[in-house]
Amino acid sequence: MFQLDLKSRKSIYEQIVDNCKELIVAGVLAPNDKLPSVRELSATLTVNPNTIQKAYRELEQTGWIYTVSGLGCFVSESRHEPDPKQVRGLLNKIGMLVKELLFLGLPPEEVKQEIDKVIQERGVSH
Amino acid sequence: MIQVKGLCKSFDDFTALSDLNVHVETGSIYGLIGVNGSGKTTLIKHLTGVYMPDAGQIIYDGEDIYENMGVKERLGYIPDDLYFFNSYNLRDMASFYRKIYPRWNEPRYQAMLQEFGLSERRKISKFSKGMQKQAAFILTMSTMPDYLILDEPIDGLDPLIRKKVWRYVVSDVAERQMTVLVSSHNLREMEGICDYIGILSGGRMMIERDLEELKTDIHKVQIAFKDQQDRTFAELNILHREKRGSVELLIVRDSGDHVKSVLEKEEPAVLDMLPLSLEEIFIYEMGGESSEIQSILF
Repeated sequence: MFQLDLKSRKSIYEQIVDNCKELIVAGVLAPNDKLPSVRELSATLTVNPNTIQKAYRELEQTGWIYTVSGLGCFVSESRHEPDPKQVRGLLNKIGMLVKELLFLGLPPEEVKQEIDKVIQERGVSH
Repeated sequence: MIQVKGLCKSFDDFTALSDLNVHVETGSIYGLIGVNGSGKTTLIKHLTGVYMPDAGQIIYDGEDIYENMGVKERLGYIPDDLYFFNSYNLRDMASFYRKIYPRWNEPRYQAMLQEFGLSERRKISKFSKGMQKQAAFILTMSTMPDYLILDEPIDGLDPLIRKKVWRYVVSDVAERQMTVLVSSHNLREMEGICDYIGILSGGRMMIERDLEELKTDIHKVQIAFKDQQDRTFAELNILHREKRGSVELLIVRDSGDHVKSVLEKEEPAVLDMLPLSLEEIFIYEMGGESSEIQSILF
C-alpha cells in the first residue's frame, strides 16, 4: 500500500505523510478505515518507527486521521480547514503544469476542459 | 539513554578522540558517520567498554559501562571484525551465549536460525563472511539487548538479508524501545533507518542532530533571472555559490520559507528548491573547504 523511494529527495517522513494523504484523497482509505500500526508499517517498510510515529502525529494534527488509544489510527470523517500554505503550493503546481501544457502548444480550451473534467468527476463521487 | 561526556583518548602521541560528546535517546536509532579514520570504531570500542577512557564518561541510563557486567549483559555489539571461538559451530556459540546473557531468548534463536537458514552444526569458521555476519546477528538479537551497537553491520550482506536484519532491528525498537547506535558508510540506507545522525570528524563530533531537522535546514537552490544583474542575497546564509551558464546554484543553510521569501522578492524566472540528501550533506560538511570535492558534487 505504501511506497517509499529512498532515492527521492523528499524525506521518508514527508513521503509517508504524502502517501497517506494520497490514499485518503483517492478514496483507497475510506473514513474510519484503520491505518497500519506503527510496528507493522516500520517492519514492512524497514523504516525507523519513530519516523512513522512522527508522520502519524503530523497527520493527526492536521486532521487527516484520529487516534483511538489502544486501537490505533483511523481516517477522519470530515475534512478540516485547508492549510493555506498547502493550498498555495498546490495551486502553484497547477500553474506550472498549465504553463507547460500551453508551452507545448495545447489549445487553452482543451486545458480548461481537462480541469473541468476532473472537477466534475470529484463532484459526482461526493 | 546513552551519554558520552567529554571523552578523550590518545594512543601514544596520537589523539584519537578529544572532548567528544554523544547523546543517544532511548528507543532511537543513531547513525554514526564520518570519514575513514575519524574515530568511529574507537568511539564504539569505548561505548562497549573495551577501551578505558583517558578522560570523560560513558553512561548507560545512569551507569558507567567500564567493567560493569550489569550493563554489558544488556548490551548487544556486533563488531566490524567478528570473532568466534576456533572450531565452534552455532550450537556451541549459542550455549556459550546462553550462559553469559541472562535474557537469552531460545525461541527467538530457533526462529531466527530457521529464517536465515544457517546450519547449526557447520563450523562457523567455514561460513562465508556474510554468513558469519548473520550468525553474529542471530546470536546478538537472541540476547534481547536493550542497547545495540553495530559497526558496519550491513557490509557484505545481500539485499534480502539486509532487509531481514533491519526488520528485526526496527521491530525491537518499536516493541521494546531498544536503543541503537549504528556506524556505516551506506548513507542511503542510513537515511531510512536512523532518526538521529552524528557526524564525526577528526575525533570530534561535528554535527549531532535529528535527521529531519538536519535536512530541512539546508537547501540546494537553482535560480535564474531574466537579466544578467549580479545579486548578493545578503539576507541568506549561503554556503556555496556557483554559476552555470545563466542558472545559479546556491547551497543555503536557512529555513526553507525564509530562503523562498527572500529569493522570490527578486522575481526569478526559474526557482527550484531541493532538499539535500544525507550523502550530499555529508560530503558538503566534510569537503567544505576543498573545492575539488565540491565540484564533483554540485
